[in-house]
Amino acid sequence: MASAAATRGTSAAVKVVKPIFSRDLDEAKRRVRELYRAWYREVPNTVALFQLDISVRQGRDKVREMFNKNKHVTDPRVIDMLVIKGKMELQETINVWKQKTHIMRYFHETETPRPTDFLSKFYAGHDP
Amino acid sequence: MLLSSVLRTALSHTVRRVRRLHQTAVRSGAGGALFVHRDTPENNPDTPFEFTEENLKRIDAIVKMYPEGHKAAATIPVLDLAQRQHGWLPISAMNKVAEVLDVPPMRVYEVATFYTMFQRKPVGKYHIQVCTTTPCMLCNSDSILEAIQNKLGIKVGESTPDRMFSLIEVECLGACVNAPMVQINDNYYEDLEPKDIEHIIDELKAGRVPPPGPRNGRFSCEPAGGLTSLTEPPPGPGFGVRADL
Amino acid sequence: MLRLPVVSRALSGVAHTKGYGAAAGNVRTAATTASNLVEVFVDGKPVLVEPGTTVLQACEKVGVQIPRFCYHERLSVAGNCRMCLVEIEKAPKVLNINSVGKSTHWLLWLAVMVLEDLNPVPVAACAMPVMKGWNILTNSEKTKKAREGVMEFLLANHPLDCPICDQGGECDLQDQSMMFGSDRSRFTEGKRAVEDKNIGPLIKTIMTRCIQCTRCIRFASEIAGVDDLGTTGRGNEMQVGTYVEKMFMSELSGNVIDICPVGALTSKPYAFTARPWETRKTESIDVLDAVGSNIVVSTRGGEVMRILPRLNEDVNEEWISDKTRFAYDGLKRQRLTQPMVKDISGQLVPTSWEDVLTRVAGALQGAQGKDVAAIVGGLVDAEALIALKDLLNQLNSDNLCTEEVFPMAGAGTDLRSNYLLNTRISGIEEADLLLLVGTNPRYEAPLFSARVRKSWLHNDLQVALVGRKVDLSYTYEHLGESAQVLQEIVAGTHPFCKNLAQAKHPVVVLGSACLQRDDGAAVHSLVSTIAQNVRVTSGVQDSWKVLNVLHRVASQVAALDLGYKAGVEAIRNNPPKVLFLLGADGGCVTRQDLPKNSLIIYQGHHGDIGAPMADIILPGAAYTEKCGTYVNTEGRAQQTRVAVTSPGMAREDWKIIRAISELAGITLPYDTLDEVRNRLAEVAPNLVRYDDVEEANYFKQANELSKAVNQTLLSEPLVPPQLTVRDFYMTDPISRASQTMAKCVKAVTEGAQAVEEPSIC
Repeated sequence: MASAAATRGTSAAVKVVKPIFSRDLDEAKRRVRELYRAWYREVPNTVALFQLDISVRQGRDKVREMFNKNKHVTDPRVIDMLVIKGKMELQETINVWKQKTHIMRYFHETETPRPTDFLSKFYAGHDP
Repeated sequence: MLLSSVLRTALSHTVRRVRRLHQTAVRSGAGGALFVHRDTPENNPDTPFEFTEENLKRIDAIVKMYPEGHKAAATIPVLDLAQRQHGWLPISAMNKVAEVLDVPPMRVYEVATFYTMFQRKPVGKYHIQVCTTTPCMLCNSDSILEAIQNKLGIKVGESTPDRMFSLIEVECLGACVNAPMVQINDNYYEDLEPKDIEHIIDELKAGRVPPPGPRNGRFSCEPAGGLTSLTEPPPGPGFGVRADL
Repeated sequence: MLRLPVVSRALSGVAHTKGYGAAAGNVRTAATTASNLVEVFVDGKPVLVEPGTTVLQACEKVGVQIPRFCYHERLSVAGNCRMCLVEIEKAPKVLNINSVGKSTHWLLWLAVMVLEDLNPVPVAACAMPVMKGWNILTNSEKTKKAREGVMEFLLANHPLDCPICDQGGECDLQDQSMMFGSDRSRFTEGKRAVEDKNIGPLIKTIMTRCIQCTRCIRFASEIAGVDDLGTTGRGNEMQVGTYVEKMFMSELSGNVIDICPVGALTSKPYAFTARPWETRKTESIDVLDAVGSNIVVSTRGGEVMRILPRLNEDVNEEWISDKTRFAYDGLKRQRLTQPMVKDISGQLVPTSWEDVLTRVAGALQGAQGKDVAAIVGGLVDAEALIALKDLLNQLNSDNLCTEEVFPMAGAGTDLRSNYLLNTRISGIEEADLLLLVGTNPRYEAPLFSARVRKSWLHNDLQVALVGRKVDLSYTYEHLGESAQVLQEIVAGTHPFCKNLAQAKHPVVVLGSACLQRDDGAAVHSLVSTIAQNVRVTSGVQDSWKVLNVLHRVASQVAALDLGYKAGVEAIRNNPPKVLFLLGADGGCVTRQDLPKNSLIIYQGHHGDIGAPMADIILPGAAYTEKCGTYVNTEGRAQQTRVAVTSPGMAREDWKIIRAISELAGITLPYDTLDEVRNRLAEVAPNLVRYDDVEEANYFKQANELSKAVNQTLLSEPLVPPQLTVRDFYMTDPISRASQTMAKCVKAVTEGAQAVEEPSIC
């Protein structure tokens, strides 16, 4: 009984988590930089391929913006997860699994939030 | 190719004939009357019909035959009474029967349409029903039918203009022994020859009802050619009993 | 050579039956000692049933469905479709020496046995009572063959028009021919054709499709009490119809559409509009009368396609009235779809919610206390009622009235037992004497009336009526027209008192129509006294209720439960500056009753009687468009559900009131339906106990209090407002807007031919 409690205690104290890819933050950052570079290089191709009505610069700015959005993340596992997601997006873009509209969604302004208070909901419609 | 087409025509012919046969059967059923009521000048809810005093007394007697609360059981006899009084059953008579027996009119219609002896269309004073089912037909009922048609100048399903006679073909009336036969109102006229039926019609026209029964001299349904068995007088008691008993 | 297999089969059959009997013997004796139930076997599975149970019911008990057409559990057994044929293995008879006779040779007995058991005839399961030890084979070779044969005959004359048949997809014949029929036809002859009948604007007949199960005939004569349908003719030419040109005009006629197993009787308004598999079904409650029938609303693409009954043994069994079923097209017409405001020229012009709510809120802020009042109509849900009550209470006003009058003298609405149908609808089945006062239940509450008829038919219920003579679907003793008869009964001078004194389970039902009169309180008091006296003489236990009030509108009980005042007398006496009409379409208060500059706000879903006189119109939701609580005349809380969204800018009623409250600065403390219902539970907990009837039993006290009523009886006869079937169809905003109901009225006044029908089919 006591030993079981002790085991639980130690496991709580030293929390060893299984890394996804990166063993430490440096390695994670390296992966991020690799992804950023890949995106940076892909932007001109994307603009040409999808016949986007934006300049390459605008595209690269957007890439930077998207990376900057997550710059507060420090957990290597989370960073790895975001990198994986980024790679998926990149692959979908390179292989033209996406369509123009999907690419342009990065440039959408944020949608109008749904009404939350009673009266705005009432004005908005039947059952928002 | 040719053969098959011939076959097909033949086949389609048969099929068509079968269908035609089928329809005639339908048309002759129930004296040709529909199983829905259509108002006509002579048959509508306003057709005057009232039970006579005598018949009302009869109805009372009929109703009394059935247990209390089972007046509906008297539907058939009272409908028959109405038909006998009026000659046939207009819708107003059925309604009257329903009223007298205190049942919904629909229950009376159901009965009246089910039984073919309830005439829902006007019939002649003398309603001639010619049996043309197999035994009668084998005994040449066709000649009887033809004789009637020629005599009265009407076809099957019609009535004479003076409403004296009406003629229908019916299925077996159960007098095959005395085939061919016709039923005129309640009377069976049996063992007919065309001249017999002509004579009967003449009599009826003259206002006399000829006596019902066989026309070939038979008393009833005994064998036409005399007895073929049981020709000896019956043996007395003890016949065939063992001698030692 | 040919005979050999027969003989061997016969022999094996003997062995089989004997072996079976021996094996089953032990079980049977064990079971029968326990009770007097009969044990039978369904495909070898034992089941204990009451003696007299039919084979079909025994099979249902173990969950085996036997195909059927003519059998219907609420109708008498006809046994004429033969679809339910099953093979039965009879238990070998125990050799009863006495019955067979001592001298009889055993071989003779064996021969009897062999004849009886080796040729088991298929029997009609619906009509055959079970016997001890029978083994019912629902899936044997013989059973299957019998079904296939019956199906072949049924289909011989059935047209192959399933693609254009409205029953397609919910047709018993279709389903069962898929399950039990042959995959090909041997029928090459011509098919029978039967002419269609015009039996009114509700039911479409395609009589060629009829398989003569006679369910409709039995329904008409047993449940509806209208002996208009029957079979005419015989044999191949037999047909179901009315024989004469006649409409099948019963207030329950639509139910024959449901019970018809084929497409012979279908709904005329629904014809060719939707298929059952493409509609979405929403379980809901009917609000067009106070019975609260359970319904299923079939919708497609935001439109109500039809309304069907839903089973509820306590309320409507499985029937609904024609108004419930066919008035749904009124939900699509005459609707208020946007808020409207009266401009300077007196025209109502459409406007936005923001605008209209601000105006209403402003008007309410300016009027406090006695200056503001509300009247609620007959179709309002409890949520809207509580919201409106809370809103007005916030404004220090308690002028909340219902259109329907209920006498407030004596105990009034304080004691719940005073205004409920306390016996409950299903309770009528136990009653032995029913006294109706000033009501025509046949048209005011058709399903209550159907229960009365059921009880009248099967339990010898004795019915008596005080009030105008009306055509009920059961015989009754007419005691007189005026309320003075009630006085005579109280005094014991009326001859009917003898019958009352003999009643074991008496029920007195007071129609809400006679409470609308000026002497309503006196009538109620008299009826209450009669009920109390009868209760004493009958000596029933306390749980039996005698006094009942039969309401006519769906919202009344909920409104009274929530503390609304019944009747608009208070408003007439104290005309308010702002009058809020919540679905009030009775026309109780008109402009003339109010001061010149008063403001009338109408909230509701139909532009009926209330809307034209209003200054501001707030479009609300109808009962198929909201989740609402309704309490039926028994006091049973039930809820409707959202089947379709409300049209245009219409909103749920409680939400509109909640929005007004926010703009008026007196925000009501609920934002969601659940919160409203919590509030309902605070005020009247019974309103949210769904499908439950709250007991109310203060008859004695109520009667004591009613003795204080000092009103003189009027000499006018008690006349219920709905006297004939003509008055039945249009009673509320929805049915008044319904074309189908208008056609019905036209058909009953001018005959079925007067109603124009589309030429298709």
